[in-house]
Amino acid sequence: MAADLGSPPAGPSLPAVSGARPRSRTVGLGRHLLALPGVGWTVLFFLAPLGLLIVYSFGSVNLLTFKVEFGWTLSNYSGIFQKLYLEPVLRSFALSAGATVACLLIGFPVAFTIARAKGRRQALLLLAVMIPFWTSFVVRTYGIYDVIADNGPLYHLLHSLGLVHGYIHLLFTPIGVGIGIVYTYLPLMILPLFVALERIDPALMEAASDLGAKPWRVLRRVILPLAVPGIIAGCILVAIPATGEYVIPQILGGGTTLMFGNVVSDQFLNLGNYPFGAALAVSLTVVLMVVLMFLRSRSYKAEAAVA
Amino acid sequence: MRLRRPRAASVFTGLVLVCLYAPIITVIVFSVDKDPNLISWKGFTTHWYAQAFSDPQVRRDLLTSLEVAALSTVISLAIAICAGLWSRQAGARARRFFDGLTYSRIVLPEVVFALGLLVLFNKLHIAYGVGAIVLGHVVFNSAYATIIIQARLASLSPSLEEAAADLGANRWRVFKRVTFPLLLPAVLVAALLTISFSFDDVIVSQFLGGDNAEPVSVLLLGMIHLHVTPEVNAIGTALMLITLVTFATAGVITLLRPTGAGQMLGMGRRAASE
Repeated sequence: MAADLGSPPAGPSLPAVSGARPRSRTVGLGRHLLALPGVGWTVLFFLAPLGLLIVYSFGSVNLLTFKVEFGWTLSNYSGIFQKLYLEPVLRSFALSAGATVACLLIGFPVAFTIARAKGRRQALLLLAVMIPFWTSFVVRTYGIYDVIADNGPLYHLLHSLGLVHGYIHLLFTPIGVGIGIVYTYLPLMILPLFVALERIDPALMEAASDLGAKPWRVLRRVILPLAVPGIIAGCILVAIPATGEYVIPQILGGGTTLMFGNVVSDQFLNLGNYPFGAALAVSLTVVLMVVLMFLRSRSYKAEAAVA
Repeated sequence: MRLRRPRAASVFTGLVLVCLYAPIITVIVFSVDKDPNLISWKGFTTHWYAQAFSDPQVRRDLLTSLEVAALSTVISLAIAICAGLWSRQAGARARRFFDGLTYSRIVLPEVVFALGLLVLFNKLHIAYGVGAIVLGHVVFNSAYATIIIQARLASLSPSLEEAAADLGANRWRVFKRVTFPLLLPAVLVAALLTISFSFDDVIVSQFLGGDNAEPVSVLLLGMIHLHVTPEVNAIGTALMLITLVTFATAGVITLLRPTGAGQMLGMGRRAASE
């Protein structure tokens, strides 16, 4: 409110609109009311639930009455380090990191091709990448289920190409969940990479190769450094939501390859251990925020270096 | 170099595009395939659609989804329009604080705040059901709508509104006759996107629906878990069509009129933090 630039300083020095100023002042105050629905909703239905989770995470469940008792115990947080819970937690990070790297390796050549395409062709390629992203997330994940099912199209394809002999099993394995994550998040990697790569002046690449740089060297010394902001942006867009992923392991994990999100919700929905579930949820949030802040600080630096 | 390398990249791009479409096409093909075991092509049929959409549960859940989408969209738009108008005249610090609240609603894993809401509603004795799902959907939908409408309003020159005010229109009249018509394409696009996000949401919908309400996305998830039948593909194709049509319509509007939604159309619901 201190920075209310809209209203001129008080005083009689501007006579022409003298009638308007008191009105604009009340309206100015009234106009802050317009922020209220957004702020109010966030406080009531976003910050309050999060606060409640934090409070719960320090409480405990009375084993006789099954009621939650509030307190200041850290046992919920130390409980995360049991093997039973640590395993899916670490698996979430590994799957998310692996899927992010895979998206980067697959997405880079695609984004490069689109960035080098011209006019209508470029627009069509971009659209082709975006359309799968516009279709239902649940159904696309389920499509992967169809494709990688034990007797599904992928199996038949690999078999008829002679790449696989005998039996392959992907559904309900960590690899299957990984395939699902890469598939559903790939467009999120391609788009920021495309934006970064398209900004690079082709003359820079030509200059490098005219000076005798081999293609690999042009890629490493010219293209990659300039693409860093896009790479980081893409990694944020893939890694953050993938770590908290719930739907993909739910559909493709078949209850055996659970990730962080599933372990957390299991505590609330099936086991009724709210305090422990809350500690898991709070930990997930804190870890993701730390990763996000790290990547963003990197991205500001990279942005500054490129500009 | 410029002959060989890009060609390899082009071939690779083609392969990736094939992979992007393969699962979608598989669902569509299976939805019209006579083979009930979903193994091979045994001829065209619309039988699974007829079977799925004559199922009273499927019909009821579709209506539930529609109800949730409509309500959460209306509330989200109201919040977003207020927020957009506010942020135009807000100070830089207030604006940063407000934007922080907006983006955090998108960045935080949905599982976390959905479970928080589950506990909160449990404590406050708010019944799970359509109302609870709507409250949850508005948390993220209002954030997306706010970003779109803020972007559109920021690119809007105030000169038309100033002219209307100079000609004697009061603030409400300026909004009704000048600002809102200019904002309408953005509002429409925001509505289409929030409808699509609402239909496609699973987590809030599943956690906060309880036994009282089951949107079609949650039904689909349950059916996949139980056993995959050909009807799943039919329902899936329908859901896909709903989300694709709303998104594509939003895309067309954005091509024709400035809406401030360009980036979000590229990114969709899962877009986080940029």
